[in-house]
Amino acid sequence: MDENNHNTSSIDTYEGGFLKLKIRLFRLVKQIKKEFQLLKTDKVNLFIALALPPLIIWMFASMSSAGASEIIPVKCTVVSYDSEVYVNQDNYTITTFWDNFTERYLDAVEKSKYLDLVDFYDASEEKYAMETARDDLRDSKIGIIIEIPVEFSEFLSTGLPGIIECIPDSSEIFYIQEKLNAVEDSIDLFVEDNNLDPQFVRMEYDEYSVPSDYNFRFNYSMIILFSFMIFGISTVLTILVVVQEKPIPRLLLTPAKKHEILLSKYITYLIILALQVFLILSTALLNGLYVAGSLFDIFLALFILGLTGVSLGMFISTVSKTKTEANQLFFAAFIVIVLLSGIFVPIESMPEYLQIVAFILPLSHGKPMINGILSKGKSVFCFDFFALLILSIAFILLSFLVIKRKRYEV
Amino acid sequence: MIEKSAEIMVNVENLNVKFGDKQVVHNVSFQVKSGEIIGLFGISGAGKTTIIRVLTCQLNKKNWNGNVKVTDLNPAQSKNHPKILSNIGYVPQLEGLNLYYELSPMTNVEIFASTYGLKKKNAKEIAKELFSILDIPEDTWKKRLKKLSGGEKKRVSVAIGLIHQPKILFLDEPTTGVDAAKRYEVLSYLKKLNRKLGTTMFLITHDMEAALICDKSAILRDGKLLEFDSNDNLIASLPSGGLLTRLTIEDLTENKIKIIKNFTPVQKTIRVGNEIIEVFIEDFEENLQKLIEYTIKNNLKVTSMSKDNATFRRYFQIRIQEEEEKERTLRESVQIMEGEA
Repeated sequence: MDENNHNTSSIDTYEGGFLKLKIRLFRLVKQIKKEFQLLKTDKVNLFIALALPPLIIWMFASMSSAGASEIIPVKCTVVSYDSEVYVNQDNYTITTFWDNFTERYLDAVEKSKYLDLVDFYDASEEKYAMETARDDLRDSKIGIIIEIPVEFSEFLSTGLPGIIECIPDSSEIFYIQEKLNAVEDSIDLFVEDNNLDPQFVRMEYDEYSVPSDYNFRFNYSMIILFSFMIFGISTVLTILVVVQEKPIPRLLLTPAKKHEILLSKYITYLIILALQVFLILSTALLNGLYVAGSLFDIFLALFILGLTGVSLGMFISTVSKTKTEANQLFFAAFIVIVLLSGIFVPIESMPEYLQIVAFILPLSHGKPMINGILSKGKSVFCFDFFALLILSIAFILLSFLVIKRKRYEV
Repeated sequence: MIEKSAEIMVNVENLNVKFGDKQVVHNVSFQVKSGEIIGLFGISGAGKTTIIRVLTCQLNKKNWNGNVKVTDLNPAQSKNHPKILSNIGYVPQLEGLNLYYELSPMTNVEIFASTYGLKKKNAKEIAKELFSILDIPEDTWKKRLKKLSGGEKKRVSVAIGLIHQPKILFLDEPTTGVDAAKRYEVLSYLKKLNRKLGTTMFLITHDMEAALICDKSAILRDGKLLEFDSNDNLIASLPSGGLLTRLTIEDLTENKIKIIKNFTPVQKTIRVGNEIIEVFIEDFEENLQKLIEYTIKNNLKVTSMSKDNATFRRYFQIRIQEEEEKERTLRESVQIMEGEA
């Protein structure tokens, strides 16, 4: 009897266990189905999860492959101090003409696919040749100055090793080597075309680099860090301020107006931004930040970049219906802004349509503006500053327009 | 008690509200005098909130028509909105929509007071008075609101609605989410405020107990105003002036209820429990004895019997039931006519 009972109970347990498992599985499947149903109702989330990653990869691939297949030549200016004529110092009547190697080198520069000759100045004829070239370098019109020294042709004609001097824009550390390599290519072509002795000296003088007594790594990183930090934090700080304030509809049942509520938020967060910029800048200066330009200019530059972040954040906050939606929108926008900022791939090497998109994004203007002030001592009032100002105004106007049309009901 | 003057606070004439093709409020008219407490009762979708949205300038004029005046100002004209909004206060159903939980009650009050142009000092004085009427403990005035109890939050919310001393206060479900014991407390606070400040109040509610403090009640159904009168008048309109007998009948079934209904003096019956039925009869005193005899004759085992006055809750149930019966009859007649056609 006992044995029978024992057998029966073990069958029951087996059946019970199987049934329990079946029920659990059923429950799990239903729960999964429910999750999918919920996901289906949240289109933005679904877009972020499924469509955004392939879109980003596609965008990144197209901007990278464009850079790889099409060589973007380094813009250069050649300044020549060479002289074809040698006048004997002892007897002024004896004059020797050398082969014109400057002209031949220019041919090599034009032949090189890595260089784009923007200007050539003969310093013996143009008094301010180097100053003009340096101005172009400062304004980022060119990436490098190639200087042909005195007695260049004479040295080569007499079989001595040639010297080429170059002054790359060293404010962006990632691109220095690219510029030097381009010059190296022109030298190789020059040597090859003219059957010269391969012994050739390339001398470089960095321009706009961080002075040697400053922390090199810290200063180069700060250019990127400043842009990301100021823009990122100011946007994150504001994406929820409108969407998460539940009593707004109730406030609107008082004489308070929508635009007053939004304006108060802008003023508050701009005060916070000014304080934030001051603290960030002070900390960076205490840690050895090199500022070639004025402190006021860099403060204003960081502030205007932060203003773009605040206005974008406010716009996202007004346009979003929920906190999740605001976070998702910010995430999507931030990825695109960072990718097209020119940090990963230079904007000039992107496909034209992406260049247009990059042109209307804030970080593409923020980084060169900050770089210009920190490394080159440029004024804040440059094109990028006004581009950021226009972007900020556009986002501010849009946020006011959105909140004006938004329906709030208690 | 403040003498209720004849000043008209709210005047609604032929109010119709439409959202697209759907009409949600039909030809509603009523008038509210200064100092009155009005209860707006109705099941969900009755149109209570929509009417309040018109009165509180929340609804676009293109959605409604009719002659509406709030403190003698027409909410159809947007130029009147700031003035109307200064004259009214609003207490939403959920405190979260009215309060900044991270701030103290006093700061919350100051924020809302500033929107009416009230200075901090003035706001504090009024707040102190309101807090003491509403029994909000002084030690909580500067605490973070999230640390306060549900009832305290509700009372702070009411104080915010009254901070600018409005002529009219709209309260959306003031007793929802408050436990049974505290419900009466909230209602008595509202009555106290009405008495002390003379504020006209609108209670939008499902809670029939709220009628206890209302001077007049509006009963709405499907956007139509069924009744608008004092509770006493409404109850008095029931047979025998609202006098009823409550019977407990063993194994109460629909058949047994039908038997009772067939007794001629019975005018209305309403089942209020498993074995309990309330019966309204004409000439109550005269016919009560006859009803007892009738139940014995029909073998209905009545285990208890009591005499009572109808409450507002009962009136509401009967009125809604009547309306439903009317609609059912109408539907059936239409179906018959359609069948014949």
